[in-house]
Amino acid sequence: MNENEISEALKSKFGNNILETKTSKRRVFINISTKVYKDVIRYLVEELGFNHVQTITGVDVGNFIEIMPHLGRGVTVTVKTRIEKNRPALSTITDIVPGASVHEREIHDILGVVFEGHPNLTRIILPENWPEGVYPLRKDYTPEQPVPMKEVS
Amino acid sequence: MQKEELRSEDKKSSYELFFDIPVGPQHPALKEPAFFKFKVEGERVIGVDADVSYNHRGIEKALEQRNYIQNIYLIERICGICNVAHTLCYAQAVEQIHGKEIPPRANYIRLMIEELARIHSHTLWLGVAAHEIGFDTLFMYVWRDREVVMDLIEMLTGNRVTTAINTIGGVRRDVSDEAKYKVKKGMDILEERLKYYKKVAINDPTINARCSGVGILKPRDAIKLCAVGPTLRASGIKNDVRADDPYALHDEVPFNVITYDTMDVLARVLVRVDETLESVNMVRYCVDHMPSGEVKIKLPLSPPIGESVSRVEAPRGELIHYARSNGTNKPERYKVRTPTFENIPSVCEMLTSKNGYEVNIADIPITLASIDPCFSCTARMEFRDVSKGKTWIWSLEELKAHCKKKGI
Repeated sequence: MNENEISEALKSKFGNNILETKTSKRRVFINISTKVYKDVIRYLVEELGFNHVQTITGVDVGNFIEIMPHLGRGVTVTVKTRIEKNRPALSTITDIVPGASVHEREIHDILGVVFEGHPNLTRIILPENWPEGVYPLRKDYTPEQPVPMKEVS
Repeated sequence: MQKEELRSEDKKSSYELFFDIPVGPQHPALKEPAFFKFKVEGERVIGVDADVSYNHRGIEKALEQRNYIQNIYLIERICGICNVAHTLCYAQAVEQIHGKEIPPRANYIRLMIEELARIHSHTLWLGVAAHEIGFDTLFMYVWRDREVVMDLIEMLTGNRVTTAINTIGGVRRDVSDEAKYKVKKGMDILEERLKYYKKVAINDPTINARCSGVGILKPRDAIKLCAVGPTLRASGIKNDVRADDPYALHDEVPFNVITYDTMDVLARVLVRVDETLESVNMVRYCVDHMPSGEVKIKLPLSPPIGESVSRVEAPRGELIHYARSNGTNKPERYKVRTPTFENIPSVCEMLTSKNGYEVNIADIPITLASIDPCFSCTARMEFRDVSKGKTWIWSLEELKAHCKKKGI
């Protein structure tokens, strides 16, 4: 399947819930509404055969957080969906692709998104003593600046 | 309660209890900080917990605070061994946002350096694997021959390890005719040696005894757990980013995707040795067919607003970079997913005894090494496996159900 066939297949299946599609060489970016997120992933994995989750990216975009699973081994389909930052919750896709588990946990750590239905949403990359509720990849987090070394007299 | 359950299950065994063996974070068997907790019943490994988050350095946040040129050198330091793959992936991601193609000569040089780095990484791995099975003679031999490719990389880029050859818009250095001659000479030496190592890997009784039938990963599990790279190809699945999603003129330079279907550590050894031989041929092809012309185009420091997904077949497997720019000279978001991170669920699967498949404590080092783990790349990972007690008496269906429940 080439890029345009994929975006056409998705458009005809989900209609208005596909907000925007953008294609370039072996890349498909689709913007979808959150309510069909899981159905789109299920359709891509089970019907179109995109059974490899490359990774899931999370981006802080002001009042929203954008979640983007990248699927596929040849053509890469990036599914974009936006969730509210003050109530960041999205259903999990680990029941469709077990390999997505670690990526969801990573986003949970760094952006504070709760994946509903995830069997084991525990801390994965941050140290044990990291304070609760501090999400380093949100834009309002400023990392500690290194202090210049003092001269020893 | 769980303990009681375990005891009653295991009355027949001479071992009444299970033991946890902690390995790491600092341990002679591991070359990098990682922590593995093996649950063992006598010599059998029945489960593993892995924690490889000891190297987390917050690079993704740091990338957002530096400009695109500074980021090349930061990206390179994600991992020493696959630094070429990282800078290549980064440069491609930024060029995709710019929407510019780089000159063909630059692409040829990129590909050549990438393949030389693959030779260096795979020979390094072969040495480490030989060391893990106690075959130190092979280790010394392989690392001696690896110096050939290290010297070539130093000659071409100015540095043995962190090459910094790829830059946004092309490569930093051109390749002279004299250098081409030396590269070809080096490839002749390497080809001969690698063919010898392949013969050793196939015929040597030590390697066979330690690697054959160890660390099995079935193709179905490999796909389910999203395995990548040589780990996936050793399970018989023909998948390579260079072939499926060609970049840097990989569609012009001929090569074969190597697969083996025995699914064990030996298959992973042979996949890597054969891939190294393919790389030797690709380097030769690049030297012979390199077009003349520019090696770099000048691109503005700030790319336009946009996003891109860049993929590279690093020595350890598929490497993904996602970039999003906001029109300034610093990226809005930069995401890196390294191959070892993707392969950790698979290695946990390999290290769990079940359904007649036995894993012994002595198999742990080579099985761990067989995915060519690179924890400084990964540095963001903690995985909990199916070792909650009953693994060895489950049917495959039950295990699958459990995996699904646990989200593994």
